[in-house]
Amino acid sequence: MVDPRNTQAPTTVASSDPVARKRRSKMKDLRKQPGFDTMAWICLFFLYGPIVMLVVFSFNDNRSVVIWTEFSLRWYVAAFENDGIRKATLVSLQVATVSTILATTFATMAALATTRVRPFKGQTLAYAVINQPLMVPEIVTAVATLAFFGIIKQIFNINGIGFLMLAHTVFCIPFAYMPIRARLEDMNLTLEQAAADLYATPVQVFRKVTMPLMAPGIVAGGMLAFVVSLDDVIITLLVAGPGETTLPVYILGQIRRGITPEINAVSTVLLGLSVVLVSIFFLIGNKKRA
Amino acid sequence: MTKTTHSMAATLAAAVAFAGPAWAEGELNIYNWGNYTNPKLIEKFEAKFDIEVNLDGYDSNEIMLAKVREGNTGYDIVVPSDSTVAIMIEQGLLAEVKPNEMENFKNMDPKWVDVYWDAGRNYSVPWQWGTTAFTVDTEVYGGDIDTLALLFDTPDELKGRINMLSDMGEVINAALRYKGYDRCNSNNEELRDITEMLIEAKEDWRTMDYATIEKLTSGDVDLSQTWNGAAMRAREQRPSLVYAYPVEGFTGWMDNAAVLAEAPNMENAKLFLNFIMIPENAALISDFAKYANGITGSEEFMSEDLKTAPEIVMPASAPAPDFVKPCPQEVTDMYNRIWTKLKQ
Repeated sequence: MVDPRNTQAPTTVASSDPVARKRRSKMKDLRKQPGFDTMAWICLFFLYGPIVMLVVFSFNDNRSVVIWTEFSLRWYVAAFENDGIRKATLVSLQVATVSTILATTFATMAALATTRVRPFKGQTLAYAVINQPLMVPEIVTAVATLAFFGIIKQIFNINGIGFLMLAHTVFCIPFAYMPIRARLEDMNLTLEQAAADLYATPVQVFRKVTMPLMAPGIVAGGMLAFVVSLDDVIITLLVAGPGETTLPVYILGQIRRGITPEINAVSTVLLGLSVVLVSIFFLIGNKKRA
Repeated sequence: MTKTTHSMAATLAAAVAFAGPAWAEGELNIYNWGNYTNPKLIEKFEAKFDIEVNLDGYDSNEIMLAKVREGNTGYDIVVPSDSTVAIMIEQGLLAEVKPNEMENFKNMDPKWVDVYWDAGRNYSVPWQWGTTAFTVDTEVYGGDIDTLALLFDTPDELKGRINMLSDMGEVINAALRYKGYDRCNSNNEELRDITEMLIEAKEDWRTMDYATIEKLTSGDVDLSQTWNGAAMRAREQRPSLVYAYPVEGFTGWMDNAAVLAEAPNMENAKLFLNFIMIPENAALISDFAKYANGITGSEEFMSEDLKTAPEIVMPASAPAPDFVKPCPQEVTDMYNRIWTKLKQ
């Protein structure tokens, strides 16, 4: 198959038209345009400045999150000894783990069902339905979930952290779904067809070919879901029952009464954790490519 | 494929197991403002009655109310502010547990018994109470601080150095007091008057923010509208701050422990209400949250700095704190319009 873009590109490059050459060199130097550096530095500053400050003040000796006195690890010790923070962290990790596993599983199934089939009527609708939690404002989902779960709890008289995990699973699905679907769309069907030609059963094709190829997408989706679940405030705030305070909700509760560097310490640990997670993911990705 | 199905079934099973009945004997679920409950108080209660306590925090009456209204929260104890108690009683959300017949009710300061939000105390017990006024750096401003003029006719030294609470009620009520108008005001003339005044005064304000301690201690502002306990903690880091008791009046508020009508652990919740009316235990709450409680005799057990803090112990010359009742909907709507205009 001949791609029309491929046939056209060489002629442009080869042409000796000075205007075209000039335009091309200009394109190359887009990064060097006036103001780009300044803008980039400003963006970087406002993106990372607050985080750097948060980390620095987690090592502050006094109670303030704005005045520096001297280096100390006391807030890390305090955070570690704070029952509320410990419990909240544990709840956060539990909820994030369970909902990530569930959401990634469902998202993988959904991605397979929407890409590994012939285009069907209502496919766009299916995308929209799966991605619904991304479109609807979170507060709407939160209030609706609160009322919905309230009725379920009343009818069946059950309670517990399962509800929170369920709510998280639902809004994590689109985040897990997108990278997996993107990965599947990048993979063409030839390898799977070749495997089938060589008498592999559909299950074998899935396990030996499709699954390993889509694994990076699943890992990326799972990590995204994990981080999104760990982050969530509004839905959690309204859905959580007794003993189900997650870390972000716990932190929010402190604001009225003044934030202590304890919160900085916890946030720094969380930040470190996500940096480690992302690095591991990055290393895996690079290894695959090499 | 089978592998996926298996692992999925396993996680589903795990989720269901988590969702199973959680109410064993001897539990108590408390839903209080974040960072407002002394862990020592909880430990003491757990040890004494062999009850396991779950403690969660909220950041506003509205969030707590929204959850409780939907029902089946699983919580036993909530700690609403005065006007929210009135609303919750009216809507039948609180259980009439009769704290006034409990053993330790005798310790409650009589002045907190016949309050507008729970006359005779059939539902609730004082948790902490305080005032909302403002605190000023007296090194920056040397004049008389006990007047709301500092907020609305700002002297030059303080221009652009003021933080107001981002709280509709507190800002509008302060304006009404300064002008000598009634609270829950629906008089168009008077409201227009304070709207103009607020918009003019806003020119001299720097920010409108709840994080008052951080604003003051970082030196971002020299005056901030704030709660007395927060003022005390800000003073510990910036000793030149003084909490004002404006002659025009200032807000008083009280958070109260109450039991939800649907509380799964009703008897334990009653034990808790009775427990916090013991002076020694009420003092534990104050030592942590840094506000006064309504229990007579608790002062002896409080730490020294709390007993003598000018923010907590009101001077005799100060006017009585003004406890503002919830306003009718039409007034709230008018306030909302003023607030929107002011925030633009």
